[in-house]
Amino acid sequence: MREESLAFVAVENVSKTYSDQDSSGGVQVLRDVSVEIAEGEFVCLMGPSGSGKSTLLTILGAMNHPSEGRLVIDGIDVYALSDERRADFRLQYLGFVFQQHHLMPYLNAIENVMLPLATLKLAGIEKRRRALDVLEKVGLGDKASRLPSQLSGGEQGRLAIARALVNDPPLLLADEPTGTLDTKTGDEIMKVFLDLNSLGQTIFMVSHNPANAALVHRVLHIRDGEFEATSDKKDARTVTRLSPAL
Amino acid sequence: MRISTIAFANLRRRKGKALFLASGISIGIGTAVALLSLSGSLREEIGSQLDRFGANIVVTPHSDSLALDYGGISVSGVSFDQHQLSNEDAAGILRIPYRKRLSVVAPKLLGTVEVAGRKTLIAGVDFASELRLKKWWRLNGRAPESATEVLLGYDIARAVSAIEALPGTSGAADQGTAHHSAAPDVFRVTRERVTVGGREHRIAGVIGQTGGPEDRMVFAQLGQVQDLLGRPGQLSVIEVSALCKDCPVEDMVAQIRKELPHANVSAIQQSVRARTEAVDRLTQFSMVVSVVVLAIGALMIFTTMMSAVVERTKEIGVLRAIGFRRTHIIKGLMIEVVIISAVGGVAGWFGGLVASRLALPYFTEAGAQIELRVSLAAFAIAVAMLTGIISSIYPVMRASRLDPSEAVRYV
Ligand SMILES: Nc1ncnc2c1ncn2[C@@H]1O[C@H](COP(=O)(O)OP(=O)(O)OP(=O)(O)O)[C@@H](O)[C@H]1O
Ligand SMILES: [Mg+2]
Repeated sequence: MREESLAFVAVENVSKTYSDQDSSGGVQVLRDVSVEIAEGEFVCLMGPSGSGKSTLLTILGAMNHPSEGRLVIDGIDVYALSDERRADFRLQYLGFVFQQHHLMPYLNAIENVMLPLATLKLAGIEKRRRALDVLEKVGLGDKASRLPSQLSGGEQGRLAIARALVNDPPLLLADEPTGTLDTKTGDEIMKVFLDLNSLGQTIFMVSHNPANAALVHRVLHIRDGEFEATSDKKDARTVTRLSPAL
Repeated sequence: MRISTIAFANLRRRKGKALFLASGISIGIGTAVALLSLSGSLREEIGSQLDRFGANIVVTPHSDSLALDYGGISVSGVSFDQHQLSNEDAAGILRIPYRKRLSVVAPKLLGTVEVAGRKTLIAGVDFASELRLKKWWRLNGRAPESATEVLLGYDIARAVSAIEALPGTSGAADQGTAHHSAAPDVFRVTRERVTVGGREHRIAGVIGQTGGPEDRMVFAQLGQVQDLLGRPGQLSVIEVSALCKDCPVEDMVAQIRKELPHANVSAIQQSVRARTEAVDRLTQFSMVVSVVVLAIGALMIFTTMMSAVVERTKEIGVLRAIGFRRTHIIKGLMIEVVIISAVGGVAGWFGGLVASRLALPYFTEAGAQIELRVSLAAFAIAVAMLTGIISSIYPVMRASRLDPSEAVRYV
């Protein structure tokens, strides 16, 4: 279904209320939120804890049904899809970098990266080749057979990014990927994202770090489930950034 | 990397739990296999005992005169009643609805003839069926093949000096006591011909001493005896053996009665029957115990899978988030369950077989055996997998319904 809006990603009047056993009405986490993301854009979402950042990100991630409103990506009304079709959609369109990385501790680096390809009918060698490609992209080509526990925090973050990229997703989502890391390693991860974006990758990232805000096309501020008017908007095509080399 | 790769990795990672589950299943399956194969071989044994006992249904004419006695069965022989059995009646038995379950129908005519000048009981039989019925007969020589050949009982053979004891074995044979039956290999047939009913016959063989009525009898082909006795087409008794262990003998008796209304049909009640009932009860008991043990195994799988799902909430959520369908999650978990159950099934089948083999001597005399039946192995493995799958359906469905956003939200 084609939309009148030409934006690659459109969040249209989304509200989210979590049902709550205690209060009958439930907790409203997002209130009538709308935002559009263009292809190739790098958007950063900032806001205090509990403001609804992760909720918005999982809604964008096609895995959390909004109470109201809709999400349209590439002309597809995502939450109109059945549960199984939505799983296929995630595989086809999205890469998700979790705050805690959520790597499988019993699989080595390359196996973790191949995980999203497990359900695809591809030759094993082709899956391996693709996984090795993205591992190299994030600078982990030489650590393919290490277990996550044998990697540093920064390397684990890069491994999580590699896994999110292996299916070649048009939209990359990341929930505070630098949150648990020290500044230096956080910058290292941020550089990976910036490099990816400079190659055309669309990225939507939740971050607490104000330093990152200066490096992206656009920053959205959220408070109590609503965007603040002070959203800083730049044109994706004209933005000038610091050199990725930090 | 495929879904099965993840399943195998998970099995390797949780070896202890997998082994625990597999051994739980194998105990259940092992118990079932042991009990079932034990009662199965007891059943086999009873079957062969039944065979050894010979006939289990006897058909005789209606008669008031109890003239001759044959193996404890009263046979009306001398008087010519109007209700004689005939060859046609033997054929009639083969027409009953349960005819497929008949293993032997042995018609015979009994009467007395002179054998080498002595009055002797003679039986005209169909040797092919008679020998299948009298499994305990041990012939020195062979069965008669023509009308002019006869088979002699041991005592008769001695009386007409047709045999002599072999050297070194004479003691038992000469005393001829009931306690020391003479096997056919301790004597030698020395006479070729004998006069039966005034006609010359060839001695085809001699039956080793049995201690039963056949020791004092002569056997010849049915037609020949009917001819000798002047009773063409007539029969004195028809012995019937049913084929199976759990034959509906009572029903078969009723069907033969219906087919031969003029005859006396009776089932021979034997001690084997009591034993059959005991085994039936053992079989039922085995079934109940197996079901209970399997139910416990199923419960164990259920709780283990439930806790595994809780334990893996995060992992399953991640897989769902990166594009696994519900069915992919189900497939992965079911691969694990099926592998565990199959291993448990094979181990249980093997263990059960070993256990029943060890236990068998306590239940039967030597001779009974535990057979290696492919069907039992297949059955054991199938039941194991079915138990595993059925008891995991709910936990696995629950896992597949985990909300990915929920699952990955907290640390
Ligand atoms: N599944 C849920 N059920 C009930 N309440 C929820 C659920 N998920 C989130 N919430 C609540 O919604 C609010 C927003 O949560 P969310 O995780 O989106 O915040 P956040 O902005 O990501 O916070 P943080 O910066 O701490 O990660 C919180 O009050 C949280 O307790
Ligand atoms: Mg959050």
